[in-house]
Amino acid sequence: MSALDDFISFLTTMGFERFIRIFWFFVFFELLRYLIVDIVALLSNQLKLLLTRRKRTEALYRLRLEQPLVSLIIPGKNEGKHLYKLVMSLREQTYKNIEIIVVDDGSTDDTPIIGKDLQKNGFIDKFIRNNIRGGKASAANTALRFTKGSIIVHLDADCSFDHDAIEQIILPFYIDDRVGAVGGNVMIRNYKESLATTLQAIEYFDTISIGRVVSSHLGIYRIISGAFGAFKTEALQKIQGWDIGPGLDGDISVKMRKLGYKVKFAQEAVCLTSGPNTFKKLAKQRLRWDKSLIRFRIRKHRDVFIPNQGFSLSNFFSFSENIIYNLVLNVKWYIYFFDMINNYPSQLGYIILTNFFLYTTTNFIKFVLFSLFRPRRESLVYFIPYMPLMVIYFGYFLRIVRTIAYIQELFFKMSYKDPWNPQKTSAHAKELGL
Amino acid sequence: MGSIKINNEKGIVELSGMSYLYVSPNRPLNIDRGTNHAAVIIDGKTLEFTRMVVKRIRSSFHSDIYLKPIIILNGNAHRDPFVRELSDGVIYSFNQIELIQSQIHLINERIKEITFINSLSLEAQIITKLLAFLYSREKRDLDPIPSVISNTNYTFPFLAVHYDFKEEHNIFDVLEIARQEGLFISDFHDRVYLCSNCKSSHLSVREVCPKCNSSNNETFDIVHHFPCAYVGPITDFTNELDDHLNCPKCSKRLRHIGVDYDKPSVLHHCKNCLTSFQDYFVNARCMSCSHDNPVETLSPADIFRYKLTKKGEYAAINGFVSTPKDIEEIIGTVKYDTFKTMCKYEIERIRQTEGNSNIVGVNIVNSGTVFSKIGSSAQKELLRDLVASIRASLRSSDMITFHSSSIILISMNEIPERIADRIAKDIMKILQQLLDNNFKDFEVELKSSVRKLNYHLSAELQIDQMLNDFVV
Ligand SMILES: [Zn+2]
Ligand SMILES: [Zn+2]
Ligand SMILES: [Zn+2]
Repeated sequence: MSALDDFISFLTTMGFERFIRIFWFFVFFELLRYLIVDIVALLSNQLKLLLTRRKRTEALYRLRLEQPLVSLIIPGKNEGKHLYKLVMSLREQTYKNIEIIVVDDGSTDDTPIIGKDLQKNGFIDKFIRNNIRGGKASAANTALRFTKGSIIVHLDADCSFDHDAIEQIILPFYIDDRVGAVGGNVMIRNYKESLATTLQAIEYFDTISIGRVVSSHLGIYRIISGAFGAFKTEALQKIQGWDIGPGLDGDISVKMRKLGYKVKFAQEAVCLTSGPNTFKKLAKQRLRWDKSLIRFRIRKHRDVFIPNQGFSLSNFFSFSENIIYNLVLNVKWYIYFFDMINNYPSQLGYIILTNFFLYTTTNFIKFVLFSLFRPRRESLVYFIPYMPLMVIYFGYFLRIVRTIAYIQELFFKMSYKDPWNPQKTSAHAKELGL
Repeated sequence: MGSIKINNEKGIVELSGMSYLYVSPNRPLNIDRGTNHAAVIIDGKTLEFTRMVVKRIRSSFHSDIYLKPIIILNGNAHRDPFVRELSDGVIYSFNQIELIQSQIHLINERIKEITFINSLSLEAQIITKLLAFLYSREKRDLDPIPSVISNTNYTFPFLAVHYDFKEEHNIFDVLEIARQEGLFISDFHDRVYLCSNCKSSHLSVREVCPKCNSSNNETFDIVHHFPCAYVGPITDFTNELDDHLNCPKCSKRLRHIGVDYDKPSVLHHCKNCLTSFQDYFVNARCMSCSHDNPVETLSPADIFRYKLTKKGEYAAINGFVSTPKDIEEIIGTVKYDTFKTMCKYEIERIRQTEGNSNIVGVNIVNSGTVFSKIGSSAQKELLRDLVASIRASLRSSDMITFHSSSIILISMNEIPERIADRIAKDIMKILQQLLDNNFKDFEVELKSSVRKLNYHLSAELQIDQMLNDFVV
């Protein structure tokens, strides 16, 4: 009983200043950046949506009137098994003026047969088979070279789409002429499959989806999901397609921004994808993603920090925010951790416990509050029992993975060894510092 | 050894009691005159003419004509496989006739051994002719001849003469019937593909655009530049100044395949509809009817080598009787044998009652031409229609039978010849109308004959007399 008494007295005797001193990490980063700022941004975004409703309606009207050809490109290796289902879901789209181009990047399974068959039967417009694998970027570029549409939508073969997803993802191009790229809202389809996928689903709901609404509103949105992203063909041609990298997601939006295009997030353009179903696979995926922060932000595009002709304040903020809240935050957390061990070794157990409650409570509040800003509210109850686990998922699992990724990339440039890209291309990328 | 007598005016050559009809381009052609001679000698200087005469002779349905030995004078035309297959020898001057005389004699002797039975369907008639031809020439093998003048690329000249160029594919059906009848055994030789529209084998195969079927296209390598991940057709990398390849994205020069770039695939570009694609469609354009066939829609036809069986040889001597494709089962008719038996009974009956009964014959004069033009299934259809119209004008006690596919026999009992004659004329009018409606582009010629049965003569004799009316 004395432990509980101790804990209660630990909490009750703590004044405001002491609370800030002990839980500074929570207060400044979690509470301020991820709750207060988010809610303020979401409200402001909601207000903007209300104020621009007429403009949006007009844009939709213009879009439906013009019906521009939209090229859907689906590059991939050994994705044949998903193609039929994908194509059928695309035929259900409300937006009809589409062409579908599938690029088979050196598959070793039945993909060539399936692709040719779909093409022959008119389900897809073009199937291009590269006998030798060149990597995802080159496959996407192959497709790009043969598109005819004025808008290009990049899809992953294992995704499926809301029936209005295509219309929703191209709508921002009609709302604002300066938009060069739009990211779709990716959610986890197999959230019931395993604990790993359930926790990912919650992550996608809050951090990813809501996070992108916020950053898009603030003009600092930068990661267009490789699973579902739309691009103005003219803009994509200016930057001449995708470069090699540890994922297609972060690089192209930066290049777009450098050219002065806006990058937007389309929350209503919903796409379902299968998340990695074990923590091991998830860790592998995140290692790759997290390395791209170092490779793209710190190395390849470090020029955004240098005031020169192409300098733009929003790019500067976008990058700074990205680096601070990922790289620096990651380091800060370890500082916090040692701060606590050093200065409050006797109360460490209580601190961890309190942190746990603080985070779980905010996670829960966020989850419920953000629901008001989400297009899909069904099955949300399913996730509530898992909320406490999110502390461990965010606070430990993802953080440790991120730390490893940063170390691997910063000191060893490991992303160039990732089998996600063929070695022949990575060797060149490394040499050129891409 | 006698001396050669040449009557240039009549075109007759005589030697040791045997006479030959000499046919040359500058002389009026009358094939029928050949019946009176041991063989026909054709001037083989011009191939066209030789082919034409040989075809005329072998396509006749008269055994006196189609089996006639043919000798080619002057070897040029004889080198043509079509002519060679259908002729029996070559001489270079009339003096050489004596060298082949014994062979001609032998053929004519063997022809005398053959029994000729009128077959019903065109197919059966052609098979009968083929058997007789092979038997008279002591041949047992029937091999396909590769030929550019054949519409099916492989041909059997003796069969092909019965069909127009465009209908030549029918010979495969005829041979299949003969094989099913056990007259021949067959051995696979080759396979040809026929136009799905017109059954010609004169096809031009080429790779075409899958979208517009145009063959106007070009092929490019696809190039992948590793450092910048640019991918595009090789034309994106070439320039007009030199042979080097430069990347359009990063401007670097491509140096070493496999190291800084590779060619992961090829792409074809259609210059007609401007689409690009990786897999051609393969189409075969028919040189006969211009139909552009996707190759998978072509109809394959297996070409066989044939060998006459014992049954075939027997059928050659004794006549080839029926085929399952024959017309006997046409509704409203009786078998020819039944018809003859019933005639016998009828003659018996009128002998006692002094009654009046008649037989009527209807002959399709140009049946060979008609049937070869319309094909076998339409032939059966036509005969069925004719029988149906005849049946409609008759009493149910009257009988109809086929003597052959060109001659229909009808019994009209217990009516005066005058009435029978009138009914026959009515029937002819109806039939002619039916035929004129069905065949717009050519004329079907009909002939009829009415005979009052005479109880002093046998049924068979009276039927034969009537059939003689139809022999030209
Ligand atoms: Zn390049
Ligand atoms: Zn074409
Ligand atoms: Zn044809």
